[in-house]
Amino acid sequence: MASQDVETVTTALATEAAPDAKTRRYDRQLRLWAASGQNALESSRILVISGSATSTSILKNLVLPGIGHFTIIDPNQVTPEDAGNNFFLEGPSSIGKSRAEEAVRLLLELNDGVDGKADVRSLEHVLENSKEWLSEFTIVIAHNLEAALLEQLASLLWADESYTPLVVVRSAGFLAEVYIQYHEHAVIESHPETPQSLHIDKAFPSLLEYSTSLDFENMDVTDHGHVPYVVILVRVLEDWKKTHNGSPPLSYEEKQEFKKAIFAMRKKSDEENFDEAVAQAYRAWAKTSVPSDISALFEDEKVRSLSPTSPPFFHLLHALQRFATEQPSHALPLTSALPDMKASTESYIHLQTLYKAHAEEEKAIFKSYLQVPVEDDIVDAFVKNSHALRLQKGKKWGTLDADPASLAAALETAPKALAIHLALTVLSSYVAKQPADVPLSPTAEALTAEALTLLPPGTELPDEFDEALGEVVRAPTADLPNTAALLGGIVAQEVIKMITKQYIPINGSCLIDLIETWTGIL
Amino acid sequence: MASQENGTSASADWPGRYHHIDQVLNTPGPRTDPGFLAGDGVKDFLRNQAKILVIGAGGLGCEILANLALTGFKDIHVIDMDTIDISNLNRQFLFRQKDVGYPKATVAAEFIMKRVPGVKVTPYFGKIQDKDDEYYMQFNLVICGLDSVEARRWMNATLVNLVDPENPDSLKPMIDGGTEGFKGQARVILPTITSCYECSLDMFNKPTAFPICTIANTPRLPEHCIEWASVLEWPRVHGEKKMDTDDPEHIGWLYKIASARAAEFNIEGVTWSLTQGVVKNIIPAIASTNAVIAAACCNEAFKIATSSAAFLDNYFMLIGTDGVYSYTFTHKKRDDCPVCGGEALEMTISPEMTVEELIETLTEKQDIQIKKPSLSTSAPTKQIYLQAPPQLEKATRPNLEKKVKEFVQEGGEITVTASTLPFNLSLRISYSTPA
Ligand SMILES: [Zn+2]
Repeated sequence: MASQDVETVTTALATEAAPDAKTRRYDRQLRLWAASGQNALESSRILVISGSATSTSILKNLVLPGIGHFTIIDPNQVTPEDAGNNFFLEGPSSIGKSRAEEAVRLLLELNDGVDGKADVRSLEHVLENSKEWLSEFTIVIAHNLEAALLEQLASLLWADESYTPLVVVRSAGFLAEVYIQYHEHAVIESHPETPQSLHIDKAFPSLLEYSTSLDFENMDVTDHGHVPYVVILVRVLEDWKKTHNGSPPLSYEEKQEFKKAIFAMRKKSDEENFDEAVAQAYRAWAKTSVPSDISALFEDEKVRSLSPTSPPFFHLLHALQRFATEQPSHALPLTSALPDMKASTESYIHLQTLYKAHAEEEKAIFKSYLQVPVEDDIVDAFVKNSHALRLQKGKKWGTLDADPASLAAALETAPKALAIHLALTVLSSYVAKQPADVPLSPTAEALTAEALTLLPPGTELPDEFDEALGEVVRAPTADLPNTAALLGGIVAQEVIKMITKQYIPINGSCLIDLIETWTGIL
Repeated sequence: MASQENGTSASADWPGRYHHIDQVLNTPGPRTDPGFLAGDGVKDFLRNQAKILVIGAGGLGCEILANLALTGFKDIHVIDMDTIDISNLNRQFLFRQKDVGYPKATVAAEFIMKRVPGVKVTPYFGKIQDKDDEYYMQFNLVICGLDSVEARRWMNATLVNLVDPENPDSLKPMIDGGTEGFKGQARVILPTITSCYECSLDMFNKPTAFPICTIANTPRLPEHCIEWASVLEWPRVHGEKKMDTDDPEHIGWLYKIASARAAEFNIEGVTWSLTQGVVKNIIPAIASTNAVIAAACCNEAFKIATSSAAFLDNYFMLIGTDGVYSYTFTHKKRDDCPVCGGEALEMTISPEMTVEELIETLTEKQDIQIKKPSLSTSAPTKQIYLQAPPQLEKATRPNLEKKVKEFVQEGGEITVTASTLPFNLSLRISYSTPA
């Protein structure tokens, strides 16, 4: 066919037009969270408390990917110190102006699609007079908020399960902490690294029928070298089970024997599909069942006491449990995702069609178990990711510090992470006790004494604590540009995961030590 | 130059400017090296003497430049050969819509100088290979924020070759960052002392390459159809005309041809976005990961320049898809590293292997990855196969079909060179005994 003809014939097949400017701008991120994630970002409203260097670094990484709206609440004027470490202030010319207004103006230059607002009220004022205003936001972020005010804010936002999540960010010099306060965070699209089972050990009827119908011995040599490994494995397993009381290979010897049986089927020594079958042979004896992480979700109180008003996630979980219990496979629904494998186009596409058809059947059964209507897109995503669902349960900010026994236990299991957390905690309680407008000069002795009051009597503080404490004493109010930039990245990443409900956010605290370039979780 | 009060001399400095940074420069911490001289001396070095080179003004580069400027580096140079594209604007925050089409290095430098008073950023719009040793010798530190393995290898080898044991100033620490989606890494390389970029080449995955026979005969995935359109159909239909992956008309043509191929074979999933992704080998990139990695790199630069804290030994890896997971470790130097190791790389091949097959192996081997290698022996000097110039390529071409053992004995060495790399690789060949 001449190229002109090709083009005429094919124009009808390629139905998409070239992407618009917005799609082109966001191309590199759409490949991570797709249009669904982008829509969630564009509908989000973020409140950031303070216009510090860290706060503007966080916002920069949220404005660029295109959140809907942000507000900076900050009653302060830009000081000479602020003008030196904050990229979203214009050096000396910003000094004396509203820090919120300057930062908002410069952040908005990054993206025309984002709306931003400066609020020069104090947070105290808001908490006293119009705390319902906080419910306008998807997420609230607070950097180095004074301890008592932070506690007040955290308690307020914790009061009801439906309230806004709070991201607590603290830093001093080379050390930092990020905590997300949420009651519960459910993730369907966790983007797992491991794909779903191919159900080779529990081959569905059409796959089994196809596999056993093939006459390997009398097959044309070329065709023989292009049978997909999935089909080979199903066949070898079926034959194996006939001579082994219906069991798959179990012992090491049996597994080796099973592999030999695959090799014995080769017509030529260089048939790559048989090499693949041997390499993938574990799929024949790896039992396809409901992963324990997933069956644990079935025990969740909200699944057990399901009502028509329960969130869709729990309805979906309930249907999944019924599917796994009532369907003969006792497994999660099949998905149609077939990896690439050595095969001819026809045999691969045929196999893919079998998978797709059966996956559709199982999805229909799954849907029939749903007690409330759920959007198709969500059902599709749920089934596709049913092996990697996540339901994280959070705690109120400050829970750890209120429990000496937990602190002591963490000091044993995660000394470095806890040391950083504790150092930042005692620093902020010290700051809270100092009169404003007096330069801070905490001493290691005073802060250590403060730390000991949080711990069970007689606790010995490890070297890690002295190391962390020395840093906060050295730089109690330093919002270092590099620390701010790193926090800007980490916090924005976690906020994006929270908003898009894709990928998995931290559960608890992330501690950062930029001396050893180390992070840990508490 | 006499150091003035506060260790600064630039008139743009205002009282309080370095309030935050000075807290860690005025006082050592518990883990600070005893050699750290807190106070004016270190500030003067950072603000008035240190000269730093940034390679790349893209996703990492924009972040790196801003961080360096805020931490007090005042003499910054930046090299980048690219111009600004609309798809950069979701993360390269020094650029605006109006800057599309202009050189990244220049626009970034101007922005930094406008935003951070008193900082001088000198841009170079071009390739790192345009610059010679003398140019690289002027810097105290080099930070790389690149997306190309090739460029990193070149920079790494150049800085290793620059080291003169007699001259301590010739050792330029190289800080290297890289990101892909929610993942990234930052590392510190002290040329000849620590593991270098080449030492760790096997840690980085090569982009997936599909075998030509699959593309031509047994397509199964939409990607196979796209490769068919770009690798086979484009040259067949357009002849000499070069494909421009930034030209929407070219992408549109490939998308159309790939869609037709897919329809013919009942393959689903060819989209515009996938077509572009495959032909441009697009790696997902976001502002947040770049911010983390660039900050880690700049923090190392700051610590090295000031000794205010120990620097990273030597590798930091971040995975942000499931919580925040990171791993900090010492990557070990490789004795047979072709750049910093000095020992020949041992390679066992079949006595039947031809020169052409050896070349293919070298291209594919994870720890070598040499595009278009030329081969020769050193004792005695004999050319086995040369990729260029054309006369020599032609003269040595018949050798491709010959067996390697016709040129090298057991235990003999082959020197491998490639125009893209500023170093030679020595292979010591052993022959496997036939089965
Ligand atoms: Zn090396």
